[in-house]
Amino acid sequence: MTTTSHTAGAQPRQEDRPGQRTPTKAARGTHRTGATARAPWILLAPFLALFLLTFILPIIVALISSFTKVTRSGLFGEAGVTSGFAGFSNYAQALSDGSFVASIGRMLLFGVVQVPFMIVLCTVLALMLESGSAKWPGFFRAAYFLPYGVPGVIATILWSFLYVPGLSPLLDIAGVFGLSPDFLGPDTVLWSIANIVTWSYTGYNMLIIVAQLKSIPVELYEAAKVDGASTLRVATSIQLPLIRPALVLTTVFSIIGTLQLFAEAQVLKTVAPAIDSQYTPNLSAYTTAFAYNDYNVAAAQAVLIALAAFTLSFVFLKFTNRKSS
Amino acid sequence: MAQLSRRQLLGAGLGTAALGILTGCATPGVTSVNTKPVIPAAGGEPVTITYWAWLKDLQNVADVWNAANPQIQVNVEWIPGGNAGGYQKLYSALAAGGGPDLAQIELRTIPEFVLVNGLVDLSRYGAEEYASRYDKTLWGQVQYAGGTYGIPQDAGPMGMFYQPEVLAKVGAQPPATWEEWAAVGKELRTQDAYLDCFPLADASVFTAFATQAGANWLKAEEDGWVINMTDDATMDVARFFDKAITDDIVQTGYGAYSPGWFAAAAKGGIGSVTSGSWGDALVQGVSGGEGKWRVAPMPIWGSTGYGSSYLGGSTAAVLANSKHPREALEFATWMTTSKEGIDAMILNSGIGWSPAPEFIGTTRLEPSPFFSGQRYNEEIFVPASAAQNQDWSWWPVTQQSFNILSDGFRKKASGTSLMDSIVTSEQQIMTVFRNKGLTIRKEAS
Amino acid sequence: MTTTANPKTTKDTTVRASRATKDRSAGKRRSSTIIVTAVLVVVATYFLVPVYWVVVAATKSTADLFGTNGFWFAPTFALWENISRVLSYDNGIFLQWFLNSVLYAGVGALVATYFAAAGGYALAKYEFRGRNLVFGTILGGVLVPGTATALPLFLLFSQMGIANTYWSVLLPSLVSPFGLFLCRIYSQATVDTSLMEAARLDGASELRIFHTIGLRVLTPALVTVFLFQLVGIWNNYFLPLVMLSDSNLYPITLGLNNWLSQVDRLPEFYELTTGGVLLSIIPLGIAMVVLQRFWRGGLTEGSVK
Repeated sequence: MTTTSHTAGAQPRQEDRPGQRTPTKAARGTHRTGATARAPWILLAPFLALFLLTFILPIIVALISSFTKVTRSGLFGEAGVTSGFAGFSNYAQALSDGSFVASIGRMLLFGVVQVPFMIVLCTVLALMLESGSAKWPGFFRAAYFLPYGVPGVIATILWSFLYVPGLSPLLDIAGVFGLSPDFLGPDTVLWSIANIVTWSYTGYNMLIIVAQLKSIPVELYEAAKVDGASTLRVATSIQLPLIRPALVLTTVFSIIGTLQLFAEAQVLKTVAPAIDSQYTPNLSAYTTAFAYNDYNVAAAQAVLIALAAFTLSFVFLKFTNRKSS
Repeated sequence: MAQLSRRQLLGAGLGTAALGILTGCATPGVTSVNTKPVIPAAGGEPVTITYWAWLKDLQNVADVWNAANPQIQVNVEWIPGGNAGGYQKLYSALAAGGGPDLAQIELRTIPEFVLVNGLVDLSRYGAEEYASRYDKTLWGQVQYAGGTYGIPQDAGPMGMFYQPEVLAKVGAQPPATWEEWAAVGKELRTQDAYLDCFPLADASVFTAFATQAGANWLKAEEDGWVINMTDDATMDVARFFDKAITDDIVQTGYGAYSPGWFAAAAKGGIGSVTSGSWGDALVQGVSGGEGKWRVAPMPIWGSTGYGSSYLGGSTAAVLANSKHPREALEFATWMTTSKEGIDAMILNSGIGWSPAPEFIGTTRLEPSPFFSGQRYNEEIFVPASAAQNQDWSWWPVTQQSFNILSDGFRKKASGTSLMDSIVTSEQQIMTVFRNKGLTIRKEAS
Repeated sequence: MTTTANPKTTKDTTVRASRATKDRSAGKRRSSTIIVTAVLVVVATYFLVPVYWVVVAATKSTADLFGTNGFWFAPTFALWENISRVLSYDNGIFLQWFLNSVLYAGVGALVATYFAAAGGYALAKYEFRGRNLVFGTILGGVLVPGTATALPLFLLFSQMGIANTYWSVLLPSLVSPFGLFLCRIYSQATVDTSLMEAARLDGASELRIFHTIGLRVLTPALVTVFLFQLVGIWNNYFLPLVMLSDSNLYPITLGLNNWLSQVDRLPEFYELTTGGVLLSIIPLGIAMVVLQRFWRGGLTEGSVK
């Protein structure tokens, strides 16, 4: 990732030279050639400029600071502070930090459970909504999609009120049945977060799948009907294979989303003592940077998070591609 | 061709600019304001000072000052409390080369801001002449490496808020020692009540107990930092709470002043809370609590240690990018030592204990109706603020150390004792020091 | 709790429902409708309960919030008091936050959609050296977690002096690699090259061709990209959290969390928070319900091949 972005950052400048020399086949006349060759770059320019500023440069900054180390002399560095090349020591420090590694492990566990669960749930919901057997599909679609419009922070505030003892009506109801679930305990709070994420994103993912389902040609269903295929059979042999791209897309996004988890944990932390300040990788990087003031190690952590997201998505795409071919 | 070279030039220019930015933003906070010349007083020009703090309605306090001092106008901006977001804002403002003149910073966080060159050494602006007005322990906690890095603003000498009715169920009086405390706690369990909570997720309370017992975790010496978290005082406190938790004498499911705590306290399920003097305002939030609470001295560790400890407390510190440190200092000392300043802070912001022993605040001399007419401030907290461990001092990675400690404490649920986790925490904290490029060694026993 | 209960019932009923439809008698059909609808109702309850709770909670005083059942209204109806307090607290800072969110999300999404359309169109309709490299790099950008770039971006912006300004949140919101990706796919599929050629012969400039032919044909995809980016920015928390320290610049997410973080010191913030949450989800809730039908296939068309 880093190497590609590095070269690509400089690319636009180098590349417009050959573009101008070689006339494009489509263009007629030399006057035209220049304009046509320039056009894509002009069209791309605003996007590329901002992309450079907000993606490429920060990645380079992160890389530079992740390889920088500060050394201090005196009790507070009052006798001198110097920064220099650190090699991989920041990465080593990030990876030897038990809490940071634990947070990555926690997110893997979270992803392994929550992502498949949510994808199955939203697929089943989409199939049911599109099966034609449901009444008021428009209402349900809207109801399921509504939480997506509630920002993660606000969704977490909402759910935290439903989790906190003394405030939660859910606990009151559970109490009637003689149960006293602890939504915020050390073993349960991860799944309370999973619930918030599921609540927020199931409707959105469902809508992507519904969109893909709607694009399936009617003839396919008719052919299946002629063959006397059951609803289940239609689902497994026509619908599921054809919505595969949507499933892959939603899964990749969910994987990336899982590694990015931040707001839910940070907000819930105020009511759940079981959530420490390095509960998720992002929270860890944030704490390292802004509470511990260690921007260099935080940069190393950010790079590691990006690498993990990249690798996981890549592996997942490779895996699904191999399976389909 | 002309076009081409122009674009190339532009490209090269952009490239250079980008490179300049990149090299410039390597690491913030490596140059010290305290090696630069002292900024002279404004000299007649009216100045405006900004103060970022999380105390509520502090602007009203500043307005009292503003009315009398047209030359120095103070503007208060509210920020979230400490690590709930306030410090993050301050650090980012510092990293961006800005920030307010004054900021509310907890005593324990002062060295962390010193480490990133975030604070002005006020001794260069004559802070020493005010030293005698402040509580000795608190003044000691703003002194680092020969400088003064903040003006104590409020504090929390510890005492014990208790419900006589709940204690009476087992015929107990407020315990004078921690031994008695454990015995009362055990008795109360037969009445389906807890005497108190022990917060596994917040190490500051344990730290205050260890301080009371006489611990002194970090010392600054000539050749660097010296750590000792495994001294007898700390280990005794850890052993004591290990047993209390194992025997189920303390509640660990929720912390003091959480929604669950308020519910339990209102129902008589919690007998007491050993906490800073600022707990009085919070205890008054227990529904139907009027007349049911009193205040007693904090239990003591037998014949060793001190009568009380400080829990919490903050300062007004001058930030590195301030243009008017002298004026900021002037305002901060007025606010924290003058009668009108202290009274205004109590009235508007409900501050904790006044850092000026001379004056604890007019309203605090009155008997309290909520606490059944007890004059608890004079009776309990004035002596408590005098019975402090004056050797205690904070260190540049306090917050991270607290997180390390509480991460360890959380493992108590799965069987790791507090004593064991303190031993491993000490090692981790030493690593943190070294990773920051600081020198540290374990104190020879 | 509710979540774990749901999937089982859902799966069972699909199987049952599908078995039922094998026989095409009207009776079975009706029963499958009832079962499927019942399941959907249960799931809808799960999605709507928190929203219902906040509606109820916003009508209560702090004492009632803790003292009465959370799923039913308290005798004293304090909704209007709560809402007027939310709107008037700190000189109406809530409205300021709301307007900031509208600014960040509205302007950000509009401009981002335009830039993404131009870029996607250029990558789809022109042959030029480096095209694949540019596209590949941008595609890589889709996979980089937004939060990973936020910290270094903060350092960068601090250096440029635009941290803690509207620009620090707005500028990163103007880039939507995923939007560009969608626009490229959509341009490939729908923009007619021969139409572009004809326009060129008529002497139209390339930019004019994009604005008259390209944008018009792309409109359906642009709506999708716009909505995607709008919600993305509206929901963003990490970037403004890192960038902003002036609460007058806060979007609503940051502001409400600010209030929530004070409840342990000042319990009156419970009412402010619940009232604020209610006010903030009403407009977006309406928007979601109205706009969900525009959220169309463009999202996935040929996305992963």
